[in-house]
Amino acid sequence: MLKLRKLQENSLFLLPSVILTLALGIYPLVWVLRYMFYDYAGYGQELFVGLDNFRRLFRDDLFWQSVVNTLVFAGGKLVLTIPLSLLLAVILNASFRGRNFLRAVYFMPTVISTAVISVVFYILFNAYNGMVNQQLMKYGIISDPINWLGPDHAMLTVILVAAWGAVGNYMLLFLAGLQSIPRDLYESASIDGANAVQRFTRITVPMLGPIMQVIIMLAVIASLKGYESIMVMTEGGPIGKTEVMYLYLYKLLFPVSTGSPVEQQIGYGSAVGFATALIVGAITALYYYFSRKMNRVF
Amino acid sequence: MLKKSSALIMALTIMLVLAACGGNNAVQNNNQATEKPAQTENTQKEKPAQKTTITYWTDDRHDQEYLKELITEFNASNSDNIEVELTVLSENFNQSVDIAFSGNQAPDLLRIKSANTGVFVKKGYLEPIDNYLTDEMKTKFDSLIIDEVNRFGGKLYSLPNTGLTLRLVYNQELFDKAGITAPPATMQELVDAAKKITEVGKSEGIYGFALNYKNPKGAFDRSIREILSLSGYQGLGYDLKTGKFDFAPYAEVVEYFKQMWADGSILPGAESLDIDPLRAQFAAGKIGMYMSFSTEPGVYQDQFPTDINWGGTLAPTINGEIKGKSEIVSAGTWFGISASSKHKEAAWKFMEYMYADDVMTTYHEKGFGIAVVPSISEKAKQPDIKGMEGFLVGQHDAMWPATPSITPEGANYGDVFFKYMLSGGDLNGLVKDLNQRYNDALDKAVEKGEAAITPLADFDPSKL
Repeated sequence: MLKLRKLQENSLFLLPSVILTLALGIYPLVWVLRYMFYDYAGYGQELFVGLDNFRRLFRDDLFWQSVVNTLVFAGGKLVLTIPLSLLLAVILNASFRGRNFLRAVYFMPTVISTAVISVVFYILFNAYNGMVNQQLMKYGIISDPINWLGPDHAMLTVILVAAWGAVGNYMLLFLAGLQSIPRDLYESASIDGANAVQRFTRITVPMLGPIMQVIIMLAVIASLKGYESIMVMTEGGPIGKTEVMYLYLYKLLFPVSTGSPVEQQIGYGSAVGFATALIVGAITALYYYFSRKMNRVF
Repeated sequence: MLKKSSALIMALTIMLVLAACGGNNAVQNNNQATEKPAQTENTQKEKPAQKTTITYWTDDRHDQEYLKELITEFNASNSDNIEVELTVLSENFNQSVDIAFSGNQAPDLLRIKSANTGVFVKKGYLEPIDNYLTDEMKTKFDSLIIDEVNRFGGKLYSLPNTGLTLRLVYNQELFDKAGITAPPATMQELVDAAKKITEVGKSEGIYGFALNYKNPKGAFDRSIREILSLSGYQGLGYDLKTGKFDFAPYAEVVEYFKQMWADGSILPGAESLDIDPLRAQFAAGKIGMYMSFSTEPGVYQDQFPTDINWGGTLAPTINGEIKGKSEIVSAGTWFGISASSKHKEAAWKFMEYMYADDVMTTYHEKGFGIAVVPSISEKAKQPDIKGMEGFLVGQHDAMWPATPSITPEGANYGDVFFKYMLSGGDLNGLVKDLNQRYNDALDKAVEKGEAAITPLADFDPSKL
């Protein structure tokens, strides 16, 4: 009887979370799963089309191009972000004056709105009179302006901006991991004659394994789903060079109309949303499988 | 005790989940409401002396101050104790309207534009105004009632006030510098002029031509659209005579744009250029020519004040022959009454006040837009804004019949042609593919009853 009462009390405490999850998570999910099989513009007729949306998906070159772009973008961002944020975390984990100030400085981009950051970088990387080109030319590094947001360099530029915005966040997570490594391990290693590089490779990296696995997983998911800065800087262009999966999905569900009207494609957008979720899920699962050794701390 | 508590928890859960899912029902209720005669407030009869508050939502910002003056005057002077509340939305107007209607919090009046009127009608947001029109108004607007622009399914939803003309915007000083004596009349002349300006100005960072190619469709819809309509073709790739899409004329113009790109006559970085950064460079005297709407004189007066000697002129045609009319865009609509409004009569009274001759005349004279209603444009004075004289409606301007609004599978024509401009390819193949995809989408829209095709075999663009 007492146990039952306890169960009821616990259920009451859990109720708000359950309701919110149902209303804001499960219900929209069911809604999307239903509309995948419909031709629907957000109003008017809901035509059941069976698997038509998926047939269209398989022949949709724009979508598959966006998948490739997403992999390039995510890969590039991770290659830059993870080593850099780990390096910063190790440096800022040491004791020196101004350490907290520098931590705050590196973490700042995480706090600022992505849209604001992207607008600033859009101006800085402007091919015609952007500050980046002006400075590079001033110091003789380049002779002609680089078209940073043109077809050849746009992907590199959006990766650089995305990495700049993410480094501080992962640095903080790595710092939390570093602070959980017992100090006496380093002291013992020093007594045994290990230098700084050996301490890093033999103690820091292995001990960070479990938390690193989680951090990289979060970074993988965030990189695959990121599109905000791209939307502001290039809108997926030029000629689709930076169109990533989630930006493509966003444009289907919330088309921006200039001049002639464009209709929402709720049905097809739902199918694309489902496919993108599958792709992100599959990549994350693969990563988790191949990184399982990181979990072993001896 | 246990049963009671469990039942209570269950009931609470169900209530809250249902409440959370209520938005969808609201949409359905709304749609139903549009099919039934609108409910008047028979349950809460208002006293005549009681104030009736109506809300008006707009995403226009350029006319805000004047609009506020008008509303203040209307609120003070109307004999029905109606008070208008203005809400100016800057971004995401369409989405805000969607949310408002699905949440039963829609405004009484909406600013509607050609890009959203048809969709709003389909969604059941708008109330037909046929029953409110006076004979005088019918006469005044008679020539401007156009199917699929302001009349849908035989019902009228809005009336025009001003429209936007499209022009070639040019820097006279750069023309003089490059020895160009007159604005280009053919596409080849446009290409040559852009090249000349670049040759004499490149060392100072001056280029012949630019467009906001960050959004290729947006860039072409303010340039190629106009070149085609003056040349005698519909500007969005639709053939009014056959009732089918045919992008062959479009491709012909794209070739010249591609040539300008190949010549190096385009401002560097135009692939990622938005319209405002473009305007900023034009105001700084760095761009020879671009194409845009009659909004530009106002922009160079307030947003990017400039001392350069610039002007607007008719766009060039493909071969110099004017076989059509320059299309006046966004011209068929202005105010729309919400179908879910509880104060439709009051909303109409304010709408009627706004459509009065003196208000519409002032709109034109202050340069907020170019009057398209004949009785207004005949008597209104020219707006006192530098450069506006080149944008005024003349003998070569007209409104075109509406084209079906469809969304094809795959890339739109803007993205396809821009990709061709940058990286080449088989243009005929691209045209064939575009025609196929657009006409397939058109057939589907007709099948679903969302579009109606009426081929106009005798259509003559020069007689518009």
